Amino acid sequence: MKRGATIVCSSLWLLGTVLNAQVSTKELHGGLGGNWLTYLGDYAAQRFSPLKEIDTHTVPDLVPKWVRHFDTTSDLETTPLVYEGVMYTTNGNEMHALDAITGREIWQYRALDSQRRGVNRGAAILGDQVYLVTANCHLISLRRNNGAVVWDREYASSADGYGCSSPPLVVKDKIMVGVTSSGKTCFIAALSAVDGKEAWRVWSVPREGEFGSYTWGKFPLGQGGGPTWTPGTYDPELNLLYWPIGNPWPDFYGGDRPGDNLYTDSVVALDADTGKMKWYFQFVPHDTHDWDANETPVLVDTEFKGQKRKLLIQANRNGFYYVLDRITGEFLLGKPFVKNLTWARGLDAKGRPIEIPNTDPSAVGVRVCPSVHGATNWWAPSFNPVQGLFYVAALEQCEIYYSSAQKPVASSGFRGTGHNIIAAEPGQFYLRAIEAATGNIRWEFPMPGPTTMWAGTVATAGGLVFAADDDGDLVAFDAEAGKPLWHFNTGSNLHASPMTFSVDGHQYVTMASGTNLFTFGLHLSH
Amino acid sequence: MRRSIYWFMLTCVPAAPLFAQLDRAGSPNTQNRLAQDTARVAAGEASFRQLCTGCHGRAGEGGQGEGQGPNLATNWEVRRAKDPELFNFIKNGVKGTAMPAFSLPEERIWELAAFVRSLNAPANSVPTQGDVSVGSDVFFGKGGCSGCHMIKGRGGYLGPDLSNIGAARRLNELRDALFKPSTTPSAGFQPLLLRDTQGRQVRAIAKHASPWSVQVLDENGTLHLLRGEAIKNLTFQEKSWMPSDLPQRLSPEELTNVLAFLSRQAIRAVSAAGPAAATEKGVIN
Repeated sequence: MKRGATIVCSSLWLLGTVLNAQVSTKELHGGLGGNWLTYLGDYAAQRFSPLKEIDTHTVPDLVPKWVRHFDTTSDLETTPLVYEGVMYTTNGNEMHALDAITGREIWQYRALDSQRRGVNRGAAILGDQVYLVTANCHLISLRRNNGAVVWDREYASSADGYGCSSPPLVVKDKIMVGVTSSGKTCFIAALSAVDGKEAWRVWSVPREGEFGSYTWGKFPLGQGGGPTWTPGTYDPELNLLYWPIGNPWPDFYGGDRPGDNLYTDSVVALDADTGKMKWYFQFVPHDTHDWDANETPVLVDTEFKGQKRKLLIQANRNGFYYVLDRITGEFLLGKPFVKNLTWARGLDAKGRPIEIPNTDPSAVGVRVCPSVHGATNWWAPSFNPVQGLFYVAALEQCEIYYSSAQKPVASSGFRGTGHNIIAAEPGQFYLRAIEAATGNIRWEFPMPGPTTMWAGTVATAGGLVFAADDDGDLVAFDAEAGKPLWHFNTGSNLHASPMTFSVDGHQYVTMASGTNLFTFGLHLSH
Repeated sequence: MRRSIYWFMLTCVPAAPLFAQLDRAGSPNTQNRLAQDTARVAAGEASFRQLCTGCHGRAGEGGQGEGQGPNLATNWEVRRAKDPELFNFIKNGVKGTAMPAFSLPEERIWELAAFVRSLNAPANSVPTQGDVSVGSDVFFGKGGCSGCHMIKGRGGYLGPDLSNIGAARRLNELRDALFKPSTTPSAGFQPLLLRDTQGRQVRAIAKHASPWSVQVLDENGTLHLLRGEAIKNLTFQEKSWMPSDLPQRLSPEELTNVLAFLSRQAIRAVSAAGPAAATEKGVIN
């Protein structure tokens, strides 16, 4: 069998693209260009594309180029990868390779064995393979050119209550994966890119006797939750992986788990080779509102208070925008990015919330802001290093939170009860441009709607930021001033993050919507 | 001479729809202790040939015409039926139909039930004749099958991936594919010749084709995403790259061994945690 490592000269073929190259770790380290090689675009997750064919002047000429319908889902949440003209996009237990210019299918793979269904948010790519995570927590390696199975590894048991939707993340020779559960302690694992064998695993709740295990009272440490259901980011220079961790279980009742419940609602910095934890930062100690920390930890090198620093920034589901030193984990700044924030007066010098009494869920219900939907959530933000602006889809919303002291039963769906929307206070989404170094909001764009959107943003060197409104539109904004310059209604409320790529010198923007994947380009390109 | 060697390398299992990735047949609902006994299933087959083919067809595919027996080979009702029900259909007949009662020793009825079950079960769940290891050697060697087909990432590009074929297809379907290969092209595997600007041709398949664009995968694994004028470089072929003379090229014994090998190809995940769990779950690579 030949597995070519060369790019055949495309001039041999008129009006076509010829592809046989390998995706190298060097390319993965190289940041965004014409390709889009990780779910979050690149390791820093800034989602700032250098492409600028589509800019503030040309964006009115943006038109749909193709639409690909997927009849096996009602809810695409994927962000596709693109490498040299081929798009790799996922759906629950499925991967499809598409011609990125035409949207026509090259191959598809369905993991029909999976007894579990669920959304899938994206794939990973390395060498001549692409990697798919199934809902029942298998990592499957497929040949990029024909979709043939190379191997299939189960890294968590769905029979034990684990599920998986997180895109895998390639770091050097390993594939990083996470899991979710209801009442089972979750983990981050590094699997070999060659055969899927597990190299290391870090639990999101300490084991008995380990540091932090005392933060759970007598609660069973194997049932603490801490889902790792979104991918982390990676700093190649520091060789540190930054992985966000979800909330403790039961979600809304904390009476059985007294203490801070480490490492839930935290970001952990791990050595990418060994998994050894270098530092952690907990956003919400002892969470009882399901404010997991699974929002993207974005890596930014910028001036902070007069000093050039390596930062980690995150807009957290709890309503605060955080700036950390990503070398040490030191808390540098925390500021609300929503107006409706009623559970904490602020953050202390170490970033610990100063909580307001009587905001814990109760049997009769307590009104607290933000809502469970979160001030923001897993959808991807973006960062424009030229403007120093961080673009976040934020939700202003409050809810009534309830709890029950009922004895928790793992993997039963029990969450310690729940939450109700307040009919008289429907809430509203805003696209907010946050100054990364100060946390101040530079501009915002209100987006009236049903508050059912789950859509992120992508920024470009063309001076644009693409985002969704709460009515199914993909919108292009002037990144500096926040003025909307173009919009297109996709027909469904949006539950994914847009991405951009180029083929043969022309730029495209892709967005999943409901059962369809839309790709846009300038009117004259192709 | 060169051409004949080339053809020889492009042999074996067909690229017909049979081998596209389709729904798996699923595990049979069997408690019949004879179902995993090759000799007893073969004995059931012998009885079937003697007693049942008049109505149900030689391979259980169903008789032709009114009053003839139904298809037993790809029958969801048969798949759903429990073993005691199959046993009773044979022993007592089916009232209101032409299916008679068969006065046979019980062991022989169980053999028949095991054979009927094997017609419907995924190939990897039923016993087969032939040597899996020798079949593998033929597949990757003399047979040249891997020139076109991959198994677990090893092989060629012009035919479908066979990594899960034993779980996705019934034994009879695999047998037909080997002994009576079809050369009808299937979607995603349309054969074509691709010509470059220097006039050189390579064999390839169209993964998708329309008047506006064609997505081509050539025999070397290179993708060609072609539009407009570039499509003129393609010459579509009528027959798939699957050779029709496979039964003449390989002996019945060699084909039986390849059948045994293919029938055991199934994707079974290995636990990432280690070899102990892997043994329990089965191994793919």
